[in-house]
Amino acid sequence: MFLQQLVNSIVIGSVYALTAMGATLVYGILRVLDIANAGAYAVGAYIGMAIYALTGNLFVSLIATLIISGAIGICLEKFIYLRLLDKPSIVPLITSIGVFIFIEDLLRLLNGPYAKRFPAKLPFSGIQLSSVSIPATWILVMVVTAVLLFILWYILYHTRIGLAWRATAQDMETAKAMGVNINLVVALNFLLGYGFAAVAGSLIGIMYNSISPTMGDTPAYKMLAIIVLGGLGNPVGTVLAALIIGLVETFLGGYIGFFLPRDAIAFVALIIMLLIRPKGLFASNNA
Amino acid sequence: MYGIVVAINVGIFAILALSVNIITGYAGQPNLGQASFFGIGAYTTAILAGKYGVGFLPSLIISGFIAGIVGLLLGLASLRVRDDFLAITTIGFNFVVVAIFQYVPFFGASMGLSIPPLKLFGYPVGYVGLFIIILLLMLLVILFTKRMERSWIGIALVSIRNNEEAAESLGIDTRKFKVISFGIGTLIAGFAGSVYAYYMGFIMSYNFQFMTSITILSMAVVGGLGTIAGPIIGAIVLGLAPEIFRFVSDYRLLIYGAILILMMSFQPQGLVGDGSIFANIVRKLRPKTSGVDQ
Amino acid sequence: MEKRLFSVISLLLIALMVMSGCSGNQQPQQTQSSGQQEQQPSPSGEETIKIGFFAPVTGPAAADGESALNSAKLAVETINNAGGILGKKIELVDYDDNFKAEQAVSIAQKLTTSDKVVAVVSGSYSNPTRAAAPVYQQAKIPMVSAYAEHPDITKAGDYIFRQSFVGPIQGRAGAEVAVKKLGAKKIAVLQVDNDFGASLVEGFKERVAKLGGEVISVDTFQLGEKEFTPLLTKIKNENPDLIYMVAYAVEGSQIVRQMKQLNMTVQLLGTEGIDATKEFFGVLGKDVEGLVFTTNLNRDDTRKVTQDYIKNYTEKYGFAPDMVGASVYDSFMVLAEAIKLSGQATPDAIKDGMYKIHDFDAVTGVITSYNKLGEVIKPVQVQTVKNGEIHFFDEITDMEIIAPPDIQ
Repeated sequence: MFLQQLVNSIVIGSVYALTAMGATLVYGILRVLDIANAGAYAVGAYIGMAIYALTGNLFVSLIATLIISGAIGICLEKFIYLRLLDKPSIVPLITSIGVFIFIEDLLRLLNGPYAKRFPAKLPFSGIQLSSVSIPATWILVMVVTAVLLFILWYILYHTRIGLAWRATAQDMETAKAMGVNINLVVALNFLLGYGFAAVAGSLIGIMYNSISPTMGDTPAYKMLAIIVLGGLGNPVGTVLAALIIGLVETFLGGYIGFFLPRDAIAFVALIIMLLIRPKGLFASNNA
Repeated sequence: MYGIVVAINVGIFAILALSVNIITGYAGQPNLGQASFFGIGAYTTAILAGKYGVGFLPSLIISGFIAGIVGLLLGLASLRVRDDFLAITTIGFNFVVVAIFQYVPFFGASMGLSIPPLKLFGYPVGYVGLFIIILLLMLLVILFTKRMERSWIGIALVSIRNNEEAAESLGIDTRKFKVISFGIGTLIAGFAGSVYAYYMGFIMSYNFQFMTSITILSMAVVGGLGTIAGPIIGAIVLGLAPEIFRFVSDYRLLIYGAILILMMSFQPQGLVGDGSIFANIVRKLRPKTSGVDQ
Repeated sequence: MEKRLFSVISLLLIALMVMSGCSGNQQPQQTQSSGQQEQQPSPSGEETIKIGFFAPVTGPAAADGESALNSAKLAVETINNAGGILGKKIELVDYDDNFKAEQAVSIAQKLTTSDKVVAVVSGSYSNPTRAAAPVYQQAKIPMVSAYAEHPDITKAGDYIFRQSFVGPIQGRAGAEVAVKKLGAKKIAVLQVDNDFGASLVEGFKERVAKLGGEVISVDTFQLGEKEFTPLLTKIKNENPDLIYMVAYAVEGSQIVRQMKQLNMTVQLLGTEGIDATKEFFGVLGKDVEGLVFTTNLNRDDTRKVTQDYIKNYTEKYGFAPDMVGASVYDSFMVLAEAIKLSGQATPDAIKDGMYKIHDFDAVTGVITSYNKLGEVIKPVQVQTVKNGEIHFFDEITDMEIIAPPDIQ
């Protein structure tokens, strides 16, 4: 049972990490709490399913989902977010909630309110041992998460644009003064931020074989807890925080049972942690 | 009667928007958990009136004060946790409060709580009576906010919002005022919750969720934070929208989302906030009555 | 300064007064402009019987809202195609409550005062229905709650009826099936944490204890939860004979899937709500075999009403109806019957007619009658899944189990 719960917690943690990464990236540069990112998560699931139904190729559909949703993200950035940056932080927050409500309801109108299935055929099968079983979809989720996070890490820490990203996250004005192409950085940021959320949505759709217009409801606030725990805008911290929350939830639920709803547990942990370390568990210097 | 019921709804949310305005508008502290204090007020009344048969006024007052005391505690947290971290702490607080209502049998747990119909001096108070009570309550809140705005508390609160360091260097104890603003704002939300409980006759934890906090805050922001007319107008606009757009039933939520986006894109200071179209018109029409110069 | 304050307040008062005034005075216009397609006056200008309806068409329960609205439209169409009642056509006045109790209350006011309906069907969940019930009672307009479970709904008064079983009945029926039919001794409960879950499990636990079984654990999860592996792994370790799963289709389908992923073969006993078939089989396909559940719609029912409903719904909407839809459909049929029985389409006559209903042939079984509290008396259906289709398993008619609470 322990081993099984450990595997459970890693899968749940991976899902959280991927879902929260989009919002982390957006916050890292723009300092906006981006609820609308959860909209990209739901949109991604629908786009992923549509393209998979067309092509029958999972790899193609995940890449296409990333690019299309990333493009939607860039549009949102150009037409909505960029003009709100000098406003009090509450303004972009309310805007992003408006965008989220709009996206969710648009999905319902276009696709109907009922959950749809996302039956992807995987080229490998799950692992069945006496004490542990790992379904194929879980392996997919863990592998794709690991690959995407590795790519992200490589871009951020080993490329010029990554350097520019980090400089901008540190201080946008200084970075601009030093000749960093801010527009490019912000665009890349939204491409990856919304793309990641969309791929996360697709993967969740496959993992639960179910996508629905309201699937972004829980991630919308859950990811906020995770990105704060991770130090707001710190990608590495977010991954660690996601894994920790996955672990805590699984073992609490698995051994004690939920004395509070699962989400409330994450927030209780969050509040206690913030009172002790007001800048997050893995606060980066710039946060 | 339908109009009165809609007006009661708008009125309750206008009081709530005014209450979050004191915390977020005047003191500049993000509060995305105002629905939890609304809920604390409603649940206090449900327990006092429903379980112990306590009358209207004592229920109302105790509900407000319990919400206010819990609000003071959250205010203390704001001394340590700031800005976006505080915003998310308040979200977390909202989830925890709702979870407690949902899980603790004393609060009715998942079955909710019933509240007997409101009676004053032995006579049942109908919707019209409730509406008058809400208007009176709103009037009190407006008068109080007006006074607060003019008095030294208001000045201190506004200077916290604009620049905390500068306010501190002038010898203003910003810590004290931040906590006070939380106390007052949540006290008012508690009053609103109490009236809401009587109005609905039945409450469940679901009514006080995070999304309700967002609705309350959106009203204040859309109308104009840091003004008195703003939150009221915001409550009227966003409160009426779902009713007005009933004729496009299937697109109601879509329109609601669109209103938020458009408002924030084109009038980020709110409908009557500083520099909005509406405020400019008013200023041109009545150049001498702007409140600041007194 | 003071002037401005007063101008703001008076503006506010005027706005609110105008608003309440408008809706009070414009009643004839209101009904016409409330914009639902179904509300167009019938071509010949003849009198219609207006029945109000509300459901969560938008918001988190939109799937059930749509099923409910679909069936409401089908019911009205069916009645009107058969010539209406007492020679009059039925006119549906439907609203979306957005899953919010506040909106259900304003809708109740709108329906009772400006739309002037003679009866109302609630196609919504407990919270909105429970909050709106007293409004209908006070306006003396009969309301039939199609599938809301909260025990207090019918306690609002004699104008409020329920077309589904009150929670504990189904819980007791579940216990009967679990212990007697499926032979379970050690039972683990996995329950959605709302009034539906709580009231079913209350009846279940009480009856299991009486029958000599044992509930070894109760785990709750919140509405909309998708991840059950931590809880299921825990339950697997407890090694129960049966898992009693009180869940809706969205959660229930995930429980079934994740049990399979964890190689759990223990017998599952579900409840109504899981047979929101489009969602449940949408996710599971044929990957669910041998699931047993209690509900009110018997898919193998050979009676014509049931088979016609299933056929007409499937033809009209392209997928099979669910328990939510069937309950809403029946609510309309029951109201139509009440009008026929009393010979008049006034609210009071409909209320009296409801209490006269006896052995009525409804889609969800033969309704014995409504008791004084307004609770329906009808058998509980037990269904099972074979080859991705729902079939008859058992029917519980024992009055000791299915008797609803009543006014003493």
